[in-house]
Amino acid sequence: MNRSLLTRLGLYAAIAAPSMLLVATDQPFLIQVAIGTLISAILALAWDILSRTGQVSLGHAAFFGIGGYGSALLTPVLGPVLGWAAGILLCGLVAVLLGAVTLRLRRLYFTIATLSFSLSIQVLILVTPGLTGGSTGIMPPVIAGGSPPLQLLFVTGCLVVAAGVSDVFLGRRFRPAFFMIRNNPELAAASGVPVTRLKILAFAVSGMVAGLAGSCYCGLYGYVIPDDVFTTNWNVLPLAVTVLGGMDTTLGPIVGAVVLRLLEELARQAVGGVGYQVVYGAVIILFIVGLPEGLAGLGRVVLRRFRPPGEGTRIKARLAS
Amino acid sequence: MTTAVIQAVLLALSMAALYAAVAAGLTLTVGVTRIINFAHGEFVMLGAFLTYWLYTRFGLSPWFGMAASGVALAILSAAVYRGFLARVLKQDEHNQLLATLGLSILILNLAIIAWSPDPRVMQAPPLLPTLNLGGVTVPGNNIAVALVGLILFVAMYAIRNYTRYGTQMRFASDDPTLAAHAGINVDRVFELSFVIGGAAAGVSGGLVALVLYVQPTIGVDLVIRAFAIIALGGLGNIPGALIGSAILALTEGLTSTFVPQGGSWGFGIAFVILLLVLVVRPSGLFGKQAHP
Repeated sequence: MNRSLLTRLGLYAAIAAPSMLLVATDQPFLIQVAIGTLISAILALAWDILSRTGQVSLGHAAFFGIGGYGSALLTPVLGPVLGWAAGILLCGLVAVLLGAVTLRLRRLYFTIATLSFSLSIQVLILVTPGLTGGSTGIMPPVIAGGSPPLQLLFVTGCLVVAAGVSDVFLGRRFRPAFFMIRNNPELAAASGVPVTRLKILAFAVSGMVAGLAGSCYCGLYGYVIPDDVFTTNWNVLPLAVTVLGGMDTTLGPIVGAVVLRLLEELARQAVGGVGYQVVYGAVIILFIVGLPEGLAGLGRVVLRRFRPPGEGTRIKARLAS
Repeated sequence: MTTAVIQAVLLALSMAALYAAVAAGLTLTVGVTRIINFAHGEFVMLGAFLTYWLYTRFGLSPWFGMAASGVALAILSAAVYRGFLARVLKQDEHNQLLATLGLSILILNLAIIAWSPDPRVMQAPPLLPTLNLGGVTVPGNNIAVALVGLILFVAMYAIRNYTRYGTQMRFASDDPTLAAHAGINVDRVFELSFVIGGAAAGVSGGLVALVLYVQPTIGVDLVIRAFAIIALGGLGNIPGALIGSAILALTEGLTSTFVPQGGSWGFGIAFVILLLVLVVRPSGLFGKQAHP
């Protein structure tokens, strides 16, 4: 227990270290890129937490946007700390409602319903200009006085929180139940796993973490329109990042976000314009064909090759002989 | 007032036929392979561009354009299926989803680079004469769309229910393992359903060019509606998709006509209706409940 806690703290330090280094070097462009990357990593972690219960969402832009809009609109009323807390709690509440609505939906129906939900929320923003500014957008208070290095530190802190939350749900207490729900919900229910409660819990937590990512994003420049946060891109990105990095891990989505952004920036330098979007699509296809289990899957294969045979393989070898 | 209502309803119904045409091929493919194919929208877009180029460059009739698009997209679908989708079919659901999303992003942005994101209008002379019913007029192209949309739908229904391949498709989708044991070449059946879906996408692309504008992003707008439609009707249920299209097009059309500024968000109402329907019937209006 103690050792795993130490490993985890080491992991969080390893996540935070590159950000510290960037802040120290004071490269404005790299800092902006890093902020964007970390925000997509937080969103991807949120998506992954939900997917561990077998719920493949294509509507996380909704929580991303609600979190951003919520904290932006509530901060002037409640102050920064309570405003963010309220905005993120609002996401949790909406997620619980959506979770209850989609509870009985299987596979494709679930995915289509979440996509429809995110589109409906975008419309809701457009038809309530009095409250949400409609299509003209809002001007959220900026994080850290608009200083990019401080913003990077703040977003890094948020990522470490998200990683901690993700690890809680990969821990002894939730992991077996979550994966059992994903693989065989009927068996899970029959074995006494509170399927409904855990699915909705996963939804609430996932929604709140996505809301945290959205709050960070909206607080960067002090100006946000609905098309910035409710676009399909934010629905697809967490799925792409998580699958590329590796599902059911904390490190996978983070590494996935970094690698995807790196490829994207390289493509932007090389081809420019919308060309990088072509590379984005091509990278997704190549990864799925070549590395269906993502970078984490590749890592596992490499580790297995270089590690001396552990307990499991030795037992297997003994059984085989 | 009543004339305006009838006019709006008729226009909405012709949109319904267009949506139905897009959804027809999709629901056939989804019903058999259980893959949400996001690239279906881009196939429709490619069909629209092909019809448009054939008309503006070579003066070929849109009737010919539709047929040519159907053939071209059937070939492209076969290439896509053999190239990588067959491999993806054996992977998890999220990988399948992301694979078709990646394909959609790839085709969409290639089209933007090649043809610019600007919308174009085909401006072909109407394929059929304008219908005039006591003050209510329906443009000939809308009638053509309704006609072809319905033909496409009947064709999908007939293929699925009254042909040997259709029987194999239904069997293979219910239980691929058992179907394989029964001597059905499941991979081939899946490919065939994908190719037929692609052909339908190409033809419906021609319809898009007739009554809407031709633009790279048109596919995304249409495919999202098509997903709502097939979920409304029940995945794989072809008549259900027809009713789903009518529900979606009517709510969208009537909202944008009769609600101030409803044009930009009419489709949102349709998605709310979809969510409400799924709460009551988790497998759509006509889907088999408790899908695998």
